[in-house]
Amino acid sequence: MTAGSLLLAIRGPVLLITLGLLMAADQLDRMSFSRTWPVLLILFGLFKLAEHLGPKDEGVQDR
Amino acid sequence: MRRASLVAPLLLIGIGLLFLARNVFPEMQLLDYLAKYWPLLLVVWGGLRLLEILFWAATSRPLPARGIASGEWVLVIFLCFVGVSLHAVRGFSQWLPGSRIELGGLDIFGENYDYALAGEKPATKTPRVILESFRGNARITGADVETVKVTGHSTIRSLDQASADRANEQAPLEIDGDTNEIHIRTWQNRVSGSNRRISADLDIVVPKGTTIEAHGRSGDYDINGVSGSIDISSDNASVRLEDIGGDVVVDVRGSDILRAVKVKGSVELKGRGSDIDLQDIAGQVTINGTFTGNSQLHNLGKPLRIITPYTEFSAEKVTDMRVTLGNLNASDLTGPVRMTSSRSWDVALTNFTSSLDINLNGGDVDLRPGLLPLAKMDVRSRAGHIELALPQGSKFDLTATSTRGSVDNEFGAPLKLEPNGRRGSTLRGSNGGPSVNISTDNGQILVRSAAAADSALPESKLPKTPAVPAKPPQPVEQ
Repeated sequence: MTAGSLLLAIRGPVLLITLGLLMAADQLDRMSFSRTWPVLLILFGLFKLAEHLGPKDEGVQDR
Repeated sequence: MRRASLVAPLLLIGIGLLFLARNVFPEMQLLDYLAKYWPLLLVVWGGLRLLEILFWAATSRPLPARGIASGEWVLVIFLCFVGVSLHAVRGFSQWLPGSRIELGGLDIFGENYDYALAGEKPATKTPRVILESFRGNARITGADVETVKVTGHSTIRSLDQASADRANEQAPLEIDGDTNEIHIRTWQNRVSGSNRRISADLDIVVPKGTTIEAHGRSGDYDINGVSGSIDISSDNASVRLEDIGGDVVVDVRGSDILRAVKVKGSVELKGRGSDIDLQDIAGQVTINGTFTGNSQLHNLGKPLRIITPYTEFSAEKVTDMRVTLGNLNASDLTGPVRMTSSRSWDVALTNFTSSLDINLNGGDVDLRPGLLPLAKMDVRSRAGHIELALPQGSKFDLTATSTRGSVDNEFGAPLKLEPNGRRGSTLRGSNGGPSVNISTDNGQILVRSAAAADSALPESKLPKTPAVPAKPPQPVEQ
């Protein structure tokens, strides 16, 4: 098991939790989802970025 | 081997328990909770999955390639749609105050709650009764009484009983004023907000001599046996009046039917609506507006006047007249009859003795005067056939001209055909009667002698004019 596969595995659940929180904020009239949805995009981007950085570390360690 | 996640079964069990709970405790408002808290379902789902994965990672078990499989995402999106629409339906009042769309929620989820209404107030023999900002159905009956008595019920459509109770308290039935002028208020306009809708069914018994005035948003009025005048204005109302002694004024923005039977005074109908049914009206009748349904007018003793944006019609007396979608059929009209229209009309008139003046943009005209002596006639249809059936022994000074069509003479002498221009023709002849002028630009004209069957309204001998070309289909205005 590596950090990369863990990252990949928790991406879905974390995004789902965020989506739920944003929806809840929308529901309680705190912040409309139409304004907060880019958070999901950013989060997804962060995960992708981490994935991109992750395997490199792995490669270095493997060598 | 990839381990199956425990989360999906857990969620399924949870949802099953929720619905079971609702079935066991029906008063639990599951939909309300779901509408409010469904995002937490996503959070719990994601959280459980996260814990599961972290647990697997900590115990060095193989991790799934994806924390949430694509099938699960589809389910998530579906859940979002359901949640958002549930929320929209349940809580529109916060989102779009004053909007009318939210009624969908009420229609689907709301229930009707009924509350009895009753009240009574002494009155003189000829009071004025004013029904204010009313929504619902009112049946008003004149009787030999000296009170105004209201019974009925108020129907409140609401999502829950408490809200309906509050609405009912806000909108009590109120009868006040003195014995000469009585106001009936239902205060339905106080019930605001989009999560409730209120209407009332009232049965009102008034003294025979009552004058009635009603203003409302929507609903039906059924008024019977009142000798005063009636004045109704409403955004949307169907009105049925019978046995009315005074003048009637009805002003509606929309209506399924306006019916008045046995009215001693005048009748004035204004606004927009569909069907009109008038019978035995002793006074003058004015119809001013756009009424697109079937109109039937029987036994109007005084002049009739119809004014629409495109058409004007007037006659002195009407025995039987029907107006339907661009068709006007009348028998036993007393004139002078005048009709002008910038639209197309098929007009059929039988048994008329007074003068006729018709000018239409199009449509077929079928005239069977039936009775002698013939009256002066001036008839023009820009595009359409005109047929005139003259009784035997008619005296006339006739000119019938078609600019681009044939003119047929089936009457015989003294009428004579003269060519007119390249394609048209003119029929002329006189035996010393009133002038009869018939003309069309584009259509045939037939002048014939009347047969015995012509007093009724059989089919015309001429083929029907096809719809006037070069103009898009238009809503028919009467």
